[in-house]
Amino acid sequence: MGAVLAVTIGILVIHVNFVIFQGLFDAIVRDLTDYRFGNLQVTDEEDYIDKSDHSLVNWFERIPYVYAATPRLDSSAAINITKFGKRIEETRVPVVGVDPLRDIRASTVHKTVTEGQYVFSRNSIVLGSNVAKDLGGAQVGDNVKLKIVDRYGQDQLKRFVVTGIANSPGGQGFDYSVVMHIDTLRDMMNREGYTGSIMVKLNDPTKATEIKEFFLRSFPNQDFKAETLEEVAEQQLAGFRSGIAMINMIGYFGMMSSAFAIVTIQMMLVNGKTKEIGVMRAIGAKRKDILIIFLFQGLIIGTIGATVGTAAGLGYTIYAMETKMSWNNSLPLEVTIQWDKVIQTALTSFSLALIASLYPSYRATKLLPVEAMRTV
Amino acid sequence: MTKIYGEGDTQVRALRDVSFSVRKGEFLLIIGASGSGKSTLLNMIGLLDRPTNGNVIIDGINTSTLSDNQISSFRNQKLGFIFQSANLLSDLTVLENVTLPRQILGNNETAISDAKKLLTTVGLEPQMYKRANKISGGQAQRAAIARGLANSPSIVLADEPTGNLDSVTAETVVQLMKSMSRKLGQTFIVVTHDPSQFGDVDRVITTKDGRAFEGKESNKIEVTA
Repeated sequence: MGAVLAVTIGILVIHVNFVIFQGLFDAIVRDLTDYRFGNLQVTDEEDYIDKSDHSLVNWFERIPYVYAATPRLDSSAAINITKFGKRIEETRVPVVGVDPLRDIRASTVHKTVTEGQYVFSRNSIVLGSNVAKDLGGAQVGDNVKLKIVDRYGQDQLKRFVVTGIANSPGGQGFDYSVVMHIDTLRDMMNREGYTGSIMVKLNDPTKATEIKEFFLRSFPNQDFKAETLEEVAEQQLAGFRSGIAMINMIGYFGMMSSAFAIVTIQMMLVNGKTKEIGVMRAIGAKRKDILIIFLFQGLIIGTIGATVGTAAGLGYTIYAMETKMSWNNSLPLEVTIQWDKVIQTALTSFSLALIASLYPSYRATKLLPVEAMRTV
Repeated sequence: MTKIYGEGDTQVRALRDVSFSVRKGEFLLIIGASGSGKSTLLNMIGLLDRPTNGNVIIDGINTSTLSDNQISSFRNQKLGFIFQSANLLSDLTVLENVTLPRQILGNNETAISDAKKLLTTVGLEPQMYKRANKISGGQAQRAAIARGLANSPSIVLADEPTGNLDSVTAETVVQLMKSMSRKLGQTFIVVTHDPSQFGDVDRVITTKDGRAFEGKESNKIEVTA
């Protein structure tokens, strides 16, 4: 029973780790994809894209694998508000310019607007929840002033009406930024016709590299840079991956510990059955018969433990999926069942249980009948 | 044969130059005080241990030439064991215990039916399906006798089979062993410290200080090579 429990817990730990940490990683990838970068991001290698964003968007949207594309422009601004007679200012606030009609197809960041609505007009602005808080609790309907330094170094001032407050679970959205109409931002930056990036959402994310290469071949002399999410967010994701790998290693060490527990338990069993082993040898059982008995026991332990552990792990995974389990009560985990990993974990645990039974089984065969039967 | 345990100053000669023959069908008692070497002698005959010098020849086969696997097979087919405390496997039923030697032999076809017959013979039919740890000491010893006879061995070796039993049960067990010996013609070699329980037997060997003597203490003749 103890040995079976050891195997079960070993597998369950792996599954729980996977749900939480892989789920967290996948959730971050999901949000980065959905809010910021899409499956593919096109930028200019040196400066801004000066080709018409409409033509680029249309080019992408003619490809069957592409669901939608949208232009974006980034800058930073100083923002101030006067509330209850008091002026509050924040500097270096990231600004994102979006095309409202295309953005809501290529991105889901508009769904993070918890109060009010997304950008819809040239003078509407959506504040990230943290920006709104820093501005003394700015609300929908408030007036704010933005100051942006244009390409010529001139301050450009404009008044906006707050139409929405964005608050994304886990903060991967525009919680720390402000969102305005891209044309308004272009005007303020004196960058009419320029685009910072094209965000492309795909029907089939596995085609990202293929479409990227097709795009670059189609526009060979345009200084375009096209990157998949993996490439764009490489640094962000690399750190997470290392963390997950380490967590997984800890999980597998845990599984190996359960193997040691099985060795110990099996040795106790061999010691406890010494007299019976002696009797069996006395009535004619060969060493290999004894070996098979204890190996079979290890097989049973591995089978039951792997089955129960996998069932418990899958149960936990399905529970996490159904309840949209969230990390730290904020970021909803992206939980999936990866059957190859499930099978790999079960087989590894089963194999370890069997291997752990080898030494005790071998020791059982070494008992001499006459010595074994002296055991009281 | 001789059996020495240990080395140098801690050497113990458990058996010293013991040599004798046993005829088929004999009911032989080996008696002696505690530590006299009788159980060691039985272990040698039962191939549970190997002599330091000498050999054991059973049915014309010199067992000192056999490998470990061959000895195991030999024990299974030629020898039957009845231990002092029955030593049934507690996780198995009485019937399963009795079929075990046949299963080890690999002859399962009539194992169960033959085991049932044996258990009926020893009066354990009602206890057949009970777990071995749920029956009395006397019943366990009778089951052990049935197990010892399962493969129709040439020799049945019993080490203090009545040692843990009350006198009434002991008498029952002794009579059972003697009747099986008569009925099946098997050789019984029984180690005991109380020969009076067994009454008249074909032969008695007495052990003392590792030596073996024909007959009881009072009229012993040493059996040596």
